[in-house]
Amino acid sequence: MLIFAISDKGGTGRSVTSANIAYRRALPGADVCYLDFDFGSPTSAAVFDVPSALRGTEQAGLHSYLRGEVAEPQRIDIWAETESAGLRPRPAQAGQLVLLPGDRGGGEFVLGSDTVRRCADLFLRLEEEFEITLVDLSAGRSYAAQLVLEATALPELSSVTARWLVFHRWTRQHIIAAAGLVYGDRGIMATGASRGHERDRLRDSVRFVRAAVPSPSSPMFAELRPAQALWLSICDEDLTRLASEHKLGPMLTLGTVPLDPVLQWREQLITDEDVLSSQVANLETAQAFADLAAALTDDRRWQSPL
Amino acid sequence: MTRPSEPFSTVSPPAGPDLLIGEVRTALLQHSVALPRAAAGQLLQLRHGERVRTSERPSGQAVSPDLLTGVDCPLPTASGRAVRGVGTATSRAVLTEGRLLQASVRVRIAATGGSLRLPWGHYLARPGTVEPSGRLAGADLVDGHLSADRLPGGALDLGAIAERLLTDLQGRRVLDRRAPFRSRRTRLLWTATRAEPGGDGPGALFTIEDGTLRTLRLTLERVDPVAVAAFCEDLALHDWLLTTLVQLVERSGLGSAPGPEPLLRLRPAVDHLLHLWMPGARVDRALAPIWAGLETRPGFTRQWAATVQRIRDHLALQAIGLPAHSYQGD
Amino acid sequence: MDTTFREVSSDPRTTQLPLSHLSLELGHLYMDDFAAGPGRLREQFARVKPWADAARAAATRTGGRRPRISTCFLIDDYFTRFSSPAEVLPQVLAEAAECGLVIDYLARESACAEVGAVRPARLAEARLVQSPPLGSNGSRPPATEVGWLSNGERSPSDQPGEAMQAAAGWQPPREIEARRHSVFLDVELWDEHEGRRTWSCPFLAAVWQLLRLGLLRDQGQEVLAPVPREETFPASWDSLPPLVRLNPAADPFAAYRTCSVLASRFLPIEHAVRVILAQWSPEESVLRQIAERAEREGLAMPDDVTDRINYVFHAPS
Ligand SMILES: Nc1ncnc2c1ncn2[C@@H]1O[C@H](COP(=O)(O)OP(=O)(O)O)[C@@H](O)[C@H]1O
Ligand SMILES: [Mg+2]
Repeated sequence: MLIFAISDKGGTGRSVTSANIAYRRALPGADVCYLDFDFGSPTSAAVFDVPSALRGTEQAGLHSYLRGEVAEPQRIDIWAETESAGLRPRPAQAGQLVLLPGDRGGGEFVLGSDTVRRCADLFLRLEEEFEITLVDLSAGRSYAAQLVLEATALPELSSVTARWLVFHRWTRQHIIAAAGLVYGDRGIMATGASRGHERDRLRDSVRFVRAAVPSPSSPMFAELRPAQALWLSICDEDLTRLASEHKLGPMLTLGTVPLDPVLQWREQLITDEDVLSSQVANLETAQAFADLAAALTDDRRWQSPL
Repeated sequence: MTRPSEPFSTVSPPAGPDLLIGEVRTALLQHSVALPRAAAGQLLQLRHGERVRTSERPSGQAVSPDLLTGVDCPLPTASGRAVRGVGTATSRAVLTEGRLLQASVRVRIAATGGSLRLPWGHYLARPGTVEPSGRLAGADLVDGHLSADRLPGGALDLGAIAERLLTDLQGRRVLDRRAPFRSRRTRLLWTATRAEPGGDGPGALFTIEDGTLRTLRLTLERVDPVAVAAFCEDLALHDWLLTTLVQLVERSGLGSAPGPEPLLRLRPAVDHLLHLWMPGARVDRALAPIWAGLETRPGFTRQWAATVQRIRDHLALQAIGLPAHSYQGD
Repeated sequence: MDTTFREVSSDPRTTQLPLSHLSLELGHLYMDDFAAGPGRLREQFARVKPWADAARAAATRTGGRRPRISTCFLIDDYFTRFSSPAEVLPQVLAEAAECGLVIDYLARESACAEVGAVRPARLAEARLVQSPPLGSNGSRPPATEVGWLSNGERSPSDQPGEAMQAAAGWQPPREIEARRHSVFLDVELWDEHEGRRTWSCPFLAAVWQLLRLGLLRDQGQEVLAPVPREETFPASWDSLPPLVRLNPAADPFAAYRTCSVLASRFLPIEHAVRVILAQWSPEESVLRQIAERAEREGLAMPDDVTDRINYVFHAPS
């Protein structure tokens, strides 16, 4: 199954959240790979803490592959190569967790005629092996998004399930922008339809993820004065209404990740160790990632809301 | 350095090339059922006007016509010595029992070539041969090819040719892309050199490098490219079967998870893999002893049989309603 | 006890063809030539005659045997259809005879594209193996432009560029086998309109050379077998066999080598033919058959296909 992670704006928490989803999915035994298609700023390697890829793969990353310069993009086995002590060794039941990084210094690029073909080949190739192929796309209306919309429209990929996670923060601007990215001008729906995707099917394969949401009931806000708490919950209600108006309501929301102190300071994977032993991260955060990981393939969550 | 001059040898050197290098990649065909013979023929019809070779005994197998890829690049030397090679690599696809797909690429390294590149027609008249510019130590190339993954890029990359062929075939429209289970492709890098009089005798060194990479060094009396490639394809096929079955069993939780769950997860393996085991069936007589050697150590068939037996035991116990896991000690 | 097991489908055989020493081509006929009247034909044959004689004289290194030489003539019925065999052929034969030339075999150009269910051009195309530029290590597929084949590396054009990457500027194309300076040639092999493919003239001419060299096979079988002429020629080109043996005493159509005597306006076409055939990979079994027979006849055979092809270009056209 292909999962595309996208957001209208940068800094929404898309990369960190989707990397954590991949990690949570691999833990109980699924084979998962994570593709860094954020071509303008390929940085996922930081989240997985793989310095070899952080330095950038000199030549054989996804950029080189999509340009046709190498036959296979480089793969990084996270369990084997991460520097993060909490991720090693590979947990007993865990499946593969593989990162396909971008090239060092690779930029956003214009699509050549064969780029779509190569992208489709790669997706098919990964489908053979991985239960989940999670693709972290660039923010906004990007060539990366256009590329995967064109690739998934090819007949060879018609039998492959593809789902979209649209990340946004819990603010007015982010909600409106996320709706625009999906339903608006040159958005996912419009671009997808113009590339041959069936409208209803594409629409039903899109879900929203609210990232870094400050929950008024969270322990982080225990110290609020009553006036502040009241103001927060009024805002929250307003935003809930706004989201529904923009077709980002609860039915179309796959999950909500609470604002987490660790993630606010550092882009990383939240391990059980962080939550249970050292207790630096919140249990709710880890739980939210695990729920999202399970929801990826929970068909009930992907039924048409209509 | 001076040497005592050797008397002229009256025996002409044995026929055949000195050195072959190759790579085989093996994958599960991305199709829900075994591909029927006619469709297999169609799939492997890689070159208009050339025949797909098929055989039915002892198991169904279809072999595509050979394809050629032109190369002009540094050869993979372990020492890093720059030796340019010009010529073509031969690749072909093999489908066994409509289930297992392999891409097999090989190159014969000619003893010597000129230092200048000749007209292309010269190389096309020697399909599957690469001529090195200048002297080349066989061992240097053997070591280099078998550690290709660790060398800097730019050198001859047979794996890329194999990978492209596999990807091309797996993406064809005749395949429904609903394979019965997910699996990893495996790679076998191999070399075959002629046994030198006075040097090492014929033999083989098979190494499991990591989860999906294997290497094989063959030293043979006679290096017949077609026979050696077929041998390596057979070995790679059975290595894939064993690797995949063992992995499926591990992941299924057989012996650790309770209930029928593990066996249900193993169902596709039972349905689609168990009957494919037929090591050495198509191997040239001259190479049969090598298979026999590999059967002694590491003992492919022994491990396969043990794993299959384990599945069958659990199946049997399940059938009579005994919880198999309760029999496993800890 | 020694047992042998063989499955025919796993071990196919390749047909052998009879071979002359030389296949001598006496010309191509296009509509324009024919429209210009019988005078033009006679003029052409008269120009060809001395060179054809010279080619015969040159083909004497046959290991002491009688040189087997067959002549052939190609008529375009692929790009333009004109007149009819019944009208054209007697004139051609008469004018040739007038100049002292005997045409053994007559072929229709469309036979290079299609003979019944067989597609010689497709067969030829399937065996193109591009000459690799320096640095080709197999990691990327050869750079192809669909329907084109060149003798080198094209000028890089609109490679997909990355954002904020330095622009490269114009780069010249390069002939791979250049001696310092390039003669770069890019050959159009075919074009397609509404799903119908039309092969280019150079590509069909390359197929024509392969047929004359006895190098093409379809599933191991002969592609174009000569058919003896009937008493009279038919009224439509389609009713004429693609390859007609006009002379019952002719030596075999296919030959170890070819020689074409052509007007110099065909020079660019034949340059293109050589670019194509220089990247054409013969079937190993066919190549071996021919080499073994040549050896038995005491002939030296170049293994490079293009070295088996000879030309005489005469002017004016
Ligand atoms: N749940 C969260 N709580 C707090 N901070 C978060 C959370 N998720 C992400 N962040 C932080 O937000 C910043 C942007 O996240 P990132 O994943 O890089 O965004 P994007 O990929 O959308 O540009 C990072 O510093 C990250 O650590
Ligand atoms: Mg990011």
